[in-house]
Amino acid sequence: MRVWQFSEQAYTPAWSLPGSMGVNLASKHCEPEQAGALLNRYLDEYMLADELGLNIMVNEHHSTASCMSVSCMTTLAILARQTKRARLLALGIPLANRTDPMRVAEEIAMVDAISGGRLEVGLVKGASYEVFMSNRHPTRFMDRFWEAHDMILAAIRNTDEPFSWEGEHFHYRTVSLWPRPIQAPNPPIWMTASSAGSAALHAKYDYTCATFLSGAVARSVFQGYRQSYQETHGRKPHENKLGYLCVVATASTREEAFRRAEKMKGYFDTAMRLDPQFRNTPGFLSVDETIRMIKAGPNANRQRMRNGQPLPADATVEQYMSAGLMFVGTPDDVYEQLKQFYGEVGGFGNLLMMGQAGTLDHAETTDSLTLFAREVLPRLETLTLSDCTIDEAVWERTA
Amino acid sequence: MKPVPAVPIDGGEVVVAGDVALEIFRTGSGRPLLLVPGMDGIEGALDLIRRLSSDFEVIAVSPPGFGASDMPRHVSSVDDASYILLDLIEKLDIEDAVAVGLSLGGWFATEALVKNDTRISQLILAAPLGLKVADRDEPEMTDIFMLTAADAEHRQQRTERKTPDLTALSETELRRVLRNREAVSLFGWSPYLNNPKLRHRLHRLKLPTLVLWGRQDALIPAASGSAFADLIPNAELQFVEDAGHRLYSDRPEELAAQILHFAGNPIVKKEHDHAGLAIQ
Repeated sequence: MRVWQFSEQAYTPAWSLPGSMGVNLASKHCEPEQAGALLNRYLDEYMLADELGLNIMVNEHHSTASCMSVSCMTTLAILARQTKRARLLALGIPLANRTDPMRVAEEIAMVDAISGGRLEVGLVKGASYEVFMSNRHPTRFMDRFWEAHDMILAAIRNTDEPFSWEGEHFHYRTVSLWPRPIQAPNPPIWMTASSAGSAALHAKYDYTCATFLSGAVARSVFQGYRQSYQETHGRKPHENKLGYLCVVATASTREEAFRRAEKMKGYFDTAMRLDPQFRNTPGFLSVDETIRMIKAGPNANRQRMRNGQPLPADATVEQYMSAGLMFVGTPDDVYEQLKQFYGEVGGFGNLLMMGQAGTLDHAETTDSLTLFAREVLPRLETLTLSDCTIDEAVWERTA
Repeated sequence: MKPVPAVPIDGGEVVVAGDVALEIFRTGSGRPLLLVPGMDGIEGALDLIRRLSSDFEVIAVSPPGFGASDMPRHVSSVDDASYILLDLIEKLDIEDAVAVGLSLGGWFATEALVKNDTRISQLILAAPLGLKVADRDEPEMTDIFMLTAADAEHRQQRTERKTPDLTALSETELRRVLRNREAVSLFGWSPYLNNPKLRHRLHRLKLPTLVLWGRQDALIPAASGSAFADLIPNAELQFVEDAGHRLYSDRPEELAAQILHFAGNPIVKKEHDHAGLAIQ
């Protein structure tokens, strides 16, 4: 298993403000020097991850105090130069919010070139609320996504003469990337899924499929991927094609680990703080998807704990652990919890580890990452399904 | 063409205009009156339609994407949709008709009639959307996408109306509500419920036109109504008392009376209580 350090790079000083944490949160509450100091701190932690043998994942959001990385590629452009070994994963670039896919392709090529071919590229739909900042149409969002995808891949893979592009949404007179990316025919592509159906599509493309904080649902996502992969390519996918994102708090004692986890849990609490009209902008989900969501009721999409109950909105650290969203404890505890989850979902090759979240400070993050890299990582690197015993009954309760 | 879902309103039917299947709802007898409803679709205008049906043959149309009307991929603006409304008018062979546009429907009707108004004799616009005259850093109207569904409802009318409980609707009803919302988003997300080019086209509309505005419209200021009345050569602006944006919800009886009167006496008094707006 490969492990990727991830932080949302939050501006935590604003978390004490009342109300929504995104879209309409006034930027007057951002103290730019404090923001700069925090961003530098998070970059230091990414550089530490590189030294420790971890890989690096960055994301982006907009107009929110929960994530200050406004462009994956801006953050990775810095890390491409400042790190030496880590694979660099952008997860991801919200394609349909971008006005200019040519620019996206150029940035991919440049960061891959500077990093010596260490870039991995996630192409994602993104969150509904982000159309308020991009102002791109929420309707026909995925039509635009796929056209941008096709154009970017065509640009990156092109080793021939310049070509022109006259699609439904994007038009280019001439496409010719300077520089070209080092990795051929393209850097590994990632996509995200929260259902077996969407995972099946990613398998057809031979893309890496990650699922975020989905708990037991990861099992059906991965199953959907494996089945589709086998049907399409006639072989089993390598475990490295699957990834799971979760929060990990490691410390030398259980007490300290839970204290850290409590601070990291602030990530979940702030993510919930968004006004309802920003959660499903009309047109962002299809009419059929929205009907299914309304008919299924508010709890249908909640992750389930091991007792089968939906995860409450104000869950405790223990409840997040039970649902497979947090892994907390000493290195031995964390390894055992991850091993159990790994076995139960049928294995995956990428642990997207939120090793910094919420108000976890620099010293705590450094200690957690170091302990994890020294004592948990070597065991995860050799973990296979044959090491695991699986409690099938759990899945009947949580599926 | 995609299969069109059944029309759940009594009297509803599907007419293919150009290459697009449109839902229309026909009722009453008399002079033809083409009605283009607001963001809440034909359902929202049923009271007004019922009142008008004693004097007119009302033909209410769901624009592309609304109700059960098809939403073809080549349509992505009100300008695009306006050609389909013109196709419908020709297909139905309407002559000497009255056209009524409510809110968003006023925008649809206007965009169609600036292109061809030969089959329509009078136009009544009840708080139409679609025109941008405010400065670039001032919104023309309240951004409903930034409001909760309940706040957006509250802003649009004075009459108490409960926000629909989506979980209580049948799947057919729910689909219609969601399609309406999706269509409003498609046509109005950006530029926000306006076509910057419309102000340069309104001079083509030569019909006697009555622009009505609710005195308590909390969605869009009356300056927009004044601009419509100024830019349409033969138009008059009148205010409706005790009404918000949805004139058809707050004062359906008054709106029906004004429509009936203007259809019979299309005399426009060009005397507004505002300064004229020149085309720039």
